Amino acid sequence: MIPTVSASGLRLAHGGVRALDDVSLRLGEGVTGLLGPNGAGKTTLLRVLATALPPDRGALTVLGHDPSGPAGRQEVRRALGYLPQTPGFHPDFTSFAFVDHVAILKEMTDRAARHREVRRVLDAVDLRDVRGTRIRRLSGGMRQRVALAAALVGDPGFLVLDEPTVGLDPEQRMRFRELIATAGEGRTVLLSTHQTEDVAVLCNRVVVMAAGRVRFEGTPAELTARAAGRVWSSAERDPGARACWRTGTGAFRNVGDPPGGAELVEPTLEDGYLLTLDAPAVVETTS
Amino acid sequence: MSGMSGMSGMSGTSGTSGTSGGAWHVAADDLRAYARGELAPPLLWSADTHLVTCARCRAVLAETGDPVALDEGWERLDAELDAPRPGFMESALTRFGVPDHTARLLAATPVLRLSWLVAVVAVLLTTVAATLSVRGSGTPTLFLALAPLLPVAGVALSYGPVLDPTFEMAVVSPMHGFRLLMVRTLAVLGAVLGLNGLASLALPGYGLLAAAWLLPALALTALALALTPRLGPVLAPALVAGAWVGLLLAAVRQASGETPAPFTAPGQGVAAAVAVLATLLLHGVRDRFDVGRFPGRRGA
Repeated sequence: MIPTVSASGLRLAHGGVRALDDVSLRLGEGVTGLLGPNGAGKTTLLRVLATALPPDRGALTVLGHDPSGPAGRQEVRRALGYLPQTPGFHPDFTSFAFVDHVAILKEMTDRAARHREVRRVLDAVDLRDVRGTRIRRLSGGMRQRVALAAALVGDPGFLVLDEPTVGLDPEQRMRFRELIATAGEGRTVLLSTHQTEDVAVLCNRVVVMAAGRVRFEGTPAELTARAAGRVWSSAERDPGARACWRTGTGAFRNVGDPPGGAELVEPTLEDGYLLTLDAPAVVETTS
Repeated sequence: MSGMSGMSGMSGTSGTSGTSGGAWHVAADDLRAYARGELAPPLLWSADTHLVTCARCRAVLAETGDPVALDEGWERLDAELDAPRPGFMESALTRFGVPDHTARLLAATPVLRLSWLVAVVAVLLTTVAATLSVRGSGTPTLFLALAPLLPVAGVALSYGPVLDPTFEMAVVSPMHGFRLLMVRTLAVLGAVLGLNGLASLALPGYGLLAAAWLLPALALTALALALTPRLGPVLAPALVAGAWVGLLLAAVRQASGETPAPFTAPGQGVAAAVAVLATLLLHGVRDRFDVGRFPGRRGA
């Protein structure tokens, strides 16, 4: 992998809590998934990589630019598309007007060229029919697509997406995944998500964070392989398991160190993720 | 697009359009400039609007331009059909020569909504009415105390993570955060100082004293902005406003019926000095507006 974004020793504290604790990672072309529980520091890391927050310590290079100084930060921002966790809108703006506004913030001052670009990105996220519709009238999924269109303005080389599929219904989530997959062609995309399914479907690399630290960096297959031989099925909950949950068949799926004679099953990305977090957890649910 | 009203801007007096059978048409020179992509707003918008409905001008345009330029023209026209119709303020700013992208930024200033402007007008009307009802006083103290706080409140509500819904997207955009802040500050100042000025005209009996809010308004606004990187976008204006109210209460008590010190000539001089110093301080901390980290806000 040829790194396009690299971070080394990033640290950031909020009110005495280390949100980022010596974070180092490298990203390359394609979609990289960022997994982690709530409070892991995912959003903070994304905001640092997007230059919204300066780190207390550490080095960062994005597409060859160092954002620690004003000039480098400006260059990074010119190459950046950012979709925040809860994108804010001017609700009275139409989709076109909102994306147009973002295009102006991205220094596109020529009206004709800017409007062509706004049309292009709205077409890319399949919103050509609601270009003139006020944002307040759009569904949650459509609003997310407007925000993605805004992030795509100017064809950025580095796209940062903070949990873009949260709150979407399964159909909208699927459509959004298609858009992200397309957006990942020829650029670096960092996708923060709670959904291991997003990572399994979309990402060629995955980073797992917990408590402000990077716990894993590699391919989804490598993360899944971490759980090989450590997932088993049982009729009753296994108290020795790190995590266990009831599946749709009624049997329990256990993750951890299997007892002798356990019925081992094929691991998934989710199993590898749970083991990587290294936190004892018992979950009872159906899947 | 400026709509058909924009055609009046192309009237025969400016030599940019002609009439035929009572209908306006885009002048041949403008059509040639349009085909070359050189026609500037607002004439460009008027031409765009007109070409959608006028087959005759489209035919003239087809004969005028070279095919490549014409294709670009149609593409632009297609894009214009989706473009948002500028509001009253945006159109007015453009007609006064403000570039369309700056006008759009000004129009997107969060507090420049009708509801907020109506609230400002209501506050000013109430204050002016209260001032007029107390005719015995030689100083419109209530009005002069309140008027400088309105721009401070407007600017505070225009920038920052708490009240600007697009703050996070704006802060990572290549446009310098300080420039955006200044654009919005000027928009708020233009609107609020204008309304304050109209309110001053409603108090003619006080003469120039009715305008003694202006320098304090500039001083408080500049001071609140200069302190924002250190104190945050909520605490800084709140403290400045609180300090102003406290200062006035003390001044009124000391004046015992006379004009309170901040509205006397020396007081105005102090306000002017504070405005200048705060502006210099603000310029010194301008780069601090380039990141989304203010005191009182967690990063994630």
